[in-house]
Amino acid sequence: MHELSVCGALIEQVSALAAQRGAALVRRITIEVGPLSGVDPLLLQAAFCVLRAGSCAAEADLAIDTPDVRICCIACAAVTSTAPNRLVCAQCGGMRSRVLQGDELRLRRVELVVEGLPRLDPNDAQPAPPMQFH
Amino acid sequence: MCIDCGCAVPPAPEPDVVASPRGASHIDVLQDLLAANDRQAAHNREHFDAHGVFVVNLMSGPGAGKTALLEATILALRDRLRIAVIEGDLETDNDAARIRAHGVPAIQITTVTGCHLDAALVHRALHALPLEGLDLLFIENVGNLVCPAGFDLGQHRNVTLLSTTDGDDKPAKYPVIFRASDLVVLSKVDLLDVIDDFDPLRAVAAVRALGRDTPVVPTAARRTPTIGAWLAWLDQELGAHRAARSAGARPGPSAPRERRAAAGTGHAAQG
Repeated sequence: MHELSVCGALIEQVSALAAQRGAALVRRITIEVGPLSGVDPLLLQAAFCVLRAGSCAAEADLAIDTPDVRICCIACAAVTSTAPNRLVCAQCGGMRSRVLQGDELRLRRVELVVEGLPRLDPNDAQPAPPMQFH
Repeated sequence: MCIDCGCAVPPAPEPDVVASPRGASHIDVLQDLLAANDRQAAHNREHFDAHGVFVVNLMSGPGAGKTALLEATILALRDRLRIAVIEGDLETDNDAARIRAHGVPAIQITTVTGCHLDAALVHRALHALPLEGLDLLFIENVGNLVCPAGFDLGQHRNVTLLSTTDGDDKPAKYPVIFRASDLVVLSKVDLLDVIDDFDPLRAVAAVRALGRDTPVVPTAARRTPTIGAWLAWLDQELGAHRAARSAGARPGPSAPRERRAAAGTGHAAQG
């Protein structure tokens, strides 16, 4: 259940980003969790439901993208999609491969709740542009 | 890097985001979720390298024989190498006591509920160890084939034990940890005579299927220890590590996380 540790690290990163932008709340977080990351997306989602309480992500959704495993054969350079426990070349049978995709464990996007007027930095000469919501 | 315990927390870098318009409602980031652990691990590695210590992280499921292998290894090497051990367990300091009985310093980390060691725990332990003059430090991770795989501790090599009592398909069931290994130790091979459902060739094939051509060495650590191939690998890797250090190389993490490594701590786009 190391997903709790991973989720704690996620919330710390998101909180730092939100604080940097002066946002009190986060609307949605998107992460990538590949099969070779060793992290179970469902357990991570469950951990998030517990750990988000009291943080800026208390009302946030967690979207988890799960990319397939893709490898590149070191012998013949063929690129193939494969299972996490079958990382050999399907083309030439080469026994050594490089993982191109599928071991991701990373934060991709944080969507913030930006309320009221944008805060002005006293050092900024220009007023802030209008808010944008996506 | 720090001289003493003043370094408990490495400086946290600013979140990895480029400037975006004030009021923008989303931030695109490409930051590894374990970036903080990886920074702490790199810091641990600086400590180890400053003292010329070669560090091996031993992983396996519970009961595969990590401590027994360490005991036999200490008996074989203690006359020519100075060894220490960091032990990770949920509870008890039984394993550290077994190591200390051989006259080798051992620090026990009890994680209580934690299912793996992380770099911060190892950092605390390394300050309790006499790193000066050490040649070899073993970190015996918590017995678990899942969780320890993702956490860099600052080690130079990862070794995973696959016991003949585990089942020969474990590398296919737990590909992440076996792929992260620089060596697989097939332990308890003296039991092969009485275990009829473990085929060493099938085990090796399952390791080979993970695409790294990882060496597999057989060992038996109890009764009459047969650990020659393991000791030969250790000597070879210690020699290679020292040669690389002499040539000015800065060792990186041992685990092959190509994609994550390539992503680094991320380059962010604005939202």
